[in-house]
Amino acid sequence: MSQAVAPVRHVLIEGNKSYHNITEDLCSPTEKAPTREWIIAFSLSAAFLALYVFAIVWTVWKGIGEWGSNRTINWAWDITNFVWWIGIGHAGTLISAILLLFRQRWRTGVNRAAEAMTIFAVICAGQFPIFHMGRVWLAFFIFPFPNTRGPLWTNFNSPLLWDVFAISTYFSVSLLFWYTGLVPDLATVRDRATGFRRKMYELFSFGWTGSAKHWQRWEALSLVLAGISTPLVLSVHTIVSFDFATSVIPGWHTTIFPPYFVAGAIFSGFAMVQTLMVLTRKVLKLEEYITINHIESMNKVIVLTGTIVGVAYLTELFIAWYSGYVYEQFAFYNRVFGVYWWAYFGMMFCNVVSPQLFWSRKIRRSIWWTFFLSIVVNIGMWFERFVIIATTLARDYLPSSWSYYSPTWVEISIFTGTMGLFFTLYLIFTRVAPVVAVAEIKSILKVAGDQYVGPKAQKQHDHGHSAAPVRNEDQNAG
Amino acid sequence: MHENNGIWVSTEDLNKEESFLQSAEKEFSIENIDQTEGNWAASRRDFLKLMGFGLGAATIAASCEIPVKRAIPYVSKPDEIVPGVANYFATSFVNGGDYCAVLVKTREGRPIKIEGNSLSNVTGGGTSARAQAMVLSLYDTKRIKSAGKIADGGINDQSWADFDKEVKAKLAAGGNVRIITNTIISPTAKKALAEFAAKYPNSRVVTYDPVSSAALLAANEQSFGIRAIPGYRFDAAEVIVSFGADFLGTWISPVEYARAYAEKRRVKSAKDNMSRHYQVESHMSLTGSNADNRIMVKPSEQGAAICTLYNEIASLTGGAGIGGPKVNDKAAGALKKVAKELVAARGKSLVVSGSNNVSEQVIVNKINDMLGNVNTTVDFSHPSYQRQGDEREMMRLVEEMNAGQVAVAIAWGANPAYELPNSTKFAEAFAKVGTRVSFSGILDETTLLCTHSAPANHLLESWGDAEPRKGHFSLIQPTIAPLFNTRQAEHSLLEWADSANLNREDEQPYYQYLKSHWAGDLFATQNKYSTPAAFWDMSLHDGIFEQAPSLVTAGFKGTVDASGVTKPSSSEVEISFYETVNIGGGQYAHNPWLQEMPDPITRTVWGNYLSVPVEWDGVNNINGWKNLNDGDTVEVDINGQKQTCVVVKTFGQMPGTVSIALGGGRQSGGSGVGFGVNVNPWLPVQGGLVQYHTGASVSGKTGEEKHFSCVQDHHTLGVTAMGKEEGKVINADEKSLGYKGFQGSLTDRSIIFHANFKELPKLEKDMADFHAHSSHLNEQTLYPDNVEYFGTGIKWGMYIDLNSCIGCGACQVACLSENNVPVVGKKEVARHHEMTWLRIDRYFYGDLENPKVVYQPMMCQHCDNAPCENVCPVNATNHSMEGINQMAYNRCIGTRYCANNCPYKVRRFNWLDYTTADTWPANEERVFWVEGDEKPFYADNLVRMVMNPDVTVRSRGVIEKCSLCVQRIQEGKLTAKQESRAIMDNDVRTACQTACPTGAIVFGNTNNPDSAVNKARKNAGALAYQVLEEINVRPVVQYSAKIHNSNEELVS
Repeated sequence: MSQAVAPVRHVLIEGNKSYHNITEDLCSPTEKAPTREWIIAFSLSAAFLALYVFAIVWTVWKGIGEWGSNRTINWAWDITNFVWWIGIGHAGTLISAILLLFRQRWRTGVNRAAEAMTIFAVICAGQFPIFHMGRVWLAFFIFPFPNTRGPLWTNFNSPLLWDVFAISTYFSVSLLFWYTGLVPDLATVRDRATGFRRKMYELFSFGWTGSAKHWQRWEALSLVLAGISTPLVLSVHTIVSFDFATSVIPGWHTTIFPPYFVAGAIFSGFAMVQTLMVLTRKVLKLEEYITINHIESMNKVIVLTGTIVGVAYLTELFIAWYSGYVYEQFAFYNRVFGVYWWAYFGMMFCNVVSPQLFWSRKIRRSIWWTFFLSIVVNIGMWFERFVIIATTLARDYLPSSWSYYSPTWVEISIFTGTMGLFFTLYLIFTRVAPVVAVAEIKSILKVAGDQYVGPKAQKQHDHGHSAAPVRNEDQNAG
Repeated sequence: MHENNGIWVSTEDLNKEESFLQSAEKEFSIENIDQTEGNWAASRRDFLKLMGFGLGAATIAASCEIPVKRAIPYVSKPDEIVPGVANYFATSFVNGGDYCAVLVKTREGRPIKIEGNSLSNVTGGGTSARAQAMVLSLYDTKRIKSAGKIADGGINDQSWADFDKEVKAKLAAGGNVRIITNTIISPTAKKALAEFAAKYPNSRVVTYDPVSSAALLAANEQSFGIRAIPGYRFDAAEVIVSFGADFLGTWISPVEYARAYAEKRRVKSAKDNMSRHYQVESHMSLTGSNADNRIMVKPSEQGAAICTLYNEIASLTGGAGIGGPKVNDKAAGALKKVAKELVAARGKSLVVSGSNNVSEQVIVNKINDMLGNVNTTVDFSHPSYQRQGDEREMMRLVEEMNAGQVAVAIAWGANPAYELPNSTKFAEAFAKVGTRVSFSGILDETTLLCTHSAPANHLLESWGDAEPRKGHFSLIQPTIAPLFNTRQAEHSLLEWADSANLNREDEQPYYQYLKSHWAGDLFATQNKYSTPAAFWDMSLHDGIFEQAPSLVTAGFKGTVDASGVTKPSSSEVEISFYETVNIGGGQYAHNPWLQEMPDPITRTVWGNYLSVPVEWDGVNNINGWKNLNDGDTVEVDINGQKQTCVVVKTFGQMPGTVSIALGGGRQSGGSGVGFGVNVNPWLPVQGGLVQYHTGASVSGKTGEEKHFSCVQDHHTLGVTAMGKEEGKVINADEKSLGYKGFQGSLTDRSIIFHANFKELPKLEKDMADFHAHSSHLNEQTLYPDNVEYFGTGIKWGMYIDLNSCIGCGACQVACLSENNVPVVGKKEVARHHEMTWLRIDRYFYGDLENPKVVYQPMMCQHCDNAPCENVCPVNATNHSMEGINQMAYNRCIGTRYCANNCPYKVRRFNWLDYTTADTWPANEERVFWVEGDEKPFYADNLVRMVMNPDVTVRSRGVIEKCSLCVQRIQEGKLTAKQESRAIMDNDVRTACQTACPTGAIVFGNTNNPDSAVNKARKNAGALAYQVLEEINVRPVVQYSAKIHNSNEELVS
């Protein structure tokens, strides 16, 4: 994996790190007592997680009637949140798989955390399809298992069944990929640890010794998993979009959904990565590993995918007009001007207008703007799913059945509760594993010609980069 | 020993070696597995077996429902009961003047469903929502369980013997006895009353009706000398004018009238003859919604409108006018044209009025006389006895009681403490009566004021008879033994009268009494049966006995006088009070099925709402009057009496008027308590007669109702109005939605097709084009057709004639009853969680201020290419070989995708534990409870007796929907199979179909070319359509276009 990087390119890791510094910086958060910030954040997240558990128990005990959905709008916040969370996960897969295959070496700074985010986001997403069921205790019916009920089998025509396979595949591959990357790093932590911690890390690092054979197999497995994950980036959200695209409801039944959903997923995923990275690098003092260049690169992806999403929105409107089909036309007029017009305009503003600010290099390289806009984009993407689901259902074919939806405290608690679930998992993760891939980051530290040991080390390294004009600009922008 | 017989498997065998012989002795060559390792070690296979069993057992235990308890078998089976087979008994639904001949379906001795009795010439097998719902009131938890003295809002139980002794002592003490009743149409009950009167000569029966027709009776007596309501022949009338009479919904005998009315409306080609119906009214009534033209007059202008029509007809026929007050110009212009048409249809027209003003009714009688309708469409050979009350007698009684002249008062069926406009005065006067007895089965307002409760049986536990129409007798027989210690009111009266004709030794004394009346008096009037026994048996079997009609010709006598006509009021806002098809005047308020049946016009449930007119601002918005919105509360002040009402914006409500239904605000007695407002104290009385309109002042918005329960949010399909910006009539509906009429996004939906009768050929052509276009679109498919699946065998289908459908809602209640559809209560309906499998969509179209209405019964369309089926991940909904979209409740996990993907939105999800089927009670506080009950409605074993055992009670978390009454289909198929013949139309009739009074719903096997459904579809030609035909879901329910016969000259 080690490849030469031309000296004219700016460094991917700042601060004149040595290999030891890297190990020290990245492993130490797992070894020190938690900081006050961490404890506060964790308590808050755990409180929301408790709220989540309470609201779910409430729902299962009392019934879905505790939600605000009704005879016309049978899905609302539940599936909105599902699609939102699953979309967020996509950035992790994209970073870890596609960028690996494309040899985008800057990815090593963020891939570990992004993959962790994917896994936690998929866990959050998975809650909704399960708990939105009226009879969750029979959820196992969705699995095609041999049974004694005669020729009773799952319905392979149903997009919901495709979802089951898509998401479970996605989750298992992502988990494997993430854990594979973790193995050498866990071994590093192990080597520094003593006592019980050492035993645990010994167990979780599968006895990694760092032999050449280990590394060779590890790299081969990473590439194979990257190969498997790559189509998943496209397929998972395509299948999620089929939940809508294969229906007969105007506003759902559109062929544009698969590419539009995938672009939206990557868009929202990168926004979430930004939100997390900006916080993580600050709190864990990893500014030298997750640099402003990373942030800028990801902002470029955001502006690209945001624009794709914007084109998709406009295409939908055009096609509705062009179709000459009254139901379709009404569905899209209703989206823009109907009862939920505010959700549509929220979506348009957050997803299409706000990312355009990233055309400005200054904004693109600003931590505060990035953080702010990443939140805006995530709000916008949530609105998008709400618009597609609730607005469409609220005004479908028969005007007699039109209705309106607003959430109850139970649904709000479940949604904010999944945030608690997500951050609880993420915060635990920052305490038990290096949030930046130690082994991988070391592979990009050394640039061809750089000397890290011996008398020339410091000089050559400085000569190579610190005086570069790019860096000065960086500092100005930062 | 082992012999090899020349056959050997190895050299050892051939050589008969010892070791081989030993091993050949054993079936299995390996050493005993169990004993190889210790005494009893579990093998891998054992482990797997046990684990498999354990997992399986846990799975089964986790997914099985808890079995129903308390199933007790018969020790000796009654002859007539075969478990699983229903028995039907002919009886009658009678409540005051409301009447319907019915069959009661009983299962294992429990009445569970009402069907129409097609032998009746009055109702013709049709039913009303009220009749359908009576079976639920039998199982009312609030029924009084025993006779006794009333104290502190409860009953101190007494035995009937003690009770009788006490009451008899009071009666014997002398003093006046008054029996307060609503109309009694039972001849035998009247006989019992006569016996009572003979014993106590100082007794009198005082009769009034909750919604009065006293003026009509008085006017008929004046004009024709007959104090009865004539038989109105809506089937013979070509032009019908109704001045505020809601004859299709609530007026006198709506089932009978609706059936006759529909005869002249069921047109399928331009050659057919279609009646024209004008409705003169201020608020949109069920009848008005079916009218071809509505002429809007203020409630106080009804008299003026009648006079105007009279004067026009008089001038056309050369008679003298009567002058009278003037109606508004627009109505006057319209009535002029109406008069012309009426005169042209002389003898074949009909004018009726719901007015409770004698002068106005006399003028109407004279109008019918001038038009030659008397003895043709106004038929006194078959007068109706369904209204006999006169509230003036009641007013006199109040005075009598006030003066302390009444010693004993008996309330029988009537509830004056609620129903009378001066109920507080009544209560005061009533308190001065020493002994107050009530026959009511529930603790209603009047019973609470009484001293003694002598609860009568429920109708379904009673013997009795009815004569709704002269010469038309209808029997009432019990379908279950009395559930509680109650006794028939007639029996009580005869008991107290010491009747010699009452055989007290008999198990059912009143049965014998009734039988002897029939075998005696009525037997003598016929000659079909030679013995009284045969006559009785057949009458009881049929439920109906009809005498040969005697021709009566009536002639108009007397004078008409405009001086008694109501003068148009000058008050700024007028309010009218009307009866609804479900709650009536409040008599049906305690029936949850009826309370949860949406009002046909306002589509609201659980309570009465103040209908306010809608206004078009000319530019963008359709607003409520005073900018009021649905669910806003206002304060209504009538003569200083203020009450808070909840507003519902209603199209067709005349500007300057508001309206509100009677029957709300019940104080006690059952589930209706606390819903709506009691408007009876607002009703003004003129000349002793209750008037159903007055002036009012309505405040602005004072608040909002917490649970505004209306099942339909959008009410219109392209209403039109003058656009100020456009300077022409525009589609106000679409503009107000912000769509600016964009390519007809609302009106071009293929939900409803309608046209004027005159434009029928054009409609036929348009619809043929539409069908061609749809089938072209539907042919553009990637997937092969599945038509051949249904080419053979049975293919169920339905046809609904929107021209016959009047929107009365009988089908909807029948569906609840047949299919165990739960009541969810007001709060849940407010959240759009209603569970109705069949709903009646109501759309307004045409002119915004005076729109037309179309009703569309909407249930699962059983699409051949059903969108719900392919999205279910677990195959819980799928297609039968007979074309039914079926639900496997046990398989449903409740993802609700099917409901989202249903274009008709007919799938219903069990959001909560509505039927209380769950094993824990902790989740029940949001399901339907009757106020004051200890447990939810459906948790009560009494209420659960109404459940149809053939239909699964659905649990929380599953989807349900119309099954086309699959239980009836199975039953019909079995019948046909047992009789070794092909299935026929009458073998299977759905609950909605049998309930319909107008025969709008036809169901059957579409693969049978001779089936009624096929014939009806063929007959409708291009007018038959599928809703949303072009989206290729291929529903099996077809509708026919709505055709109205508007007089276009009248419009604008």
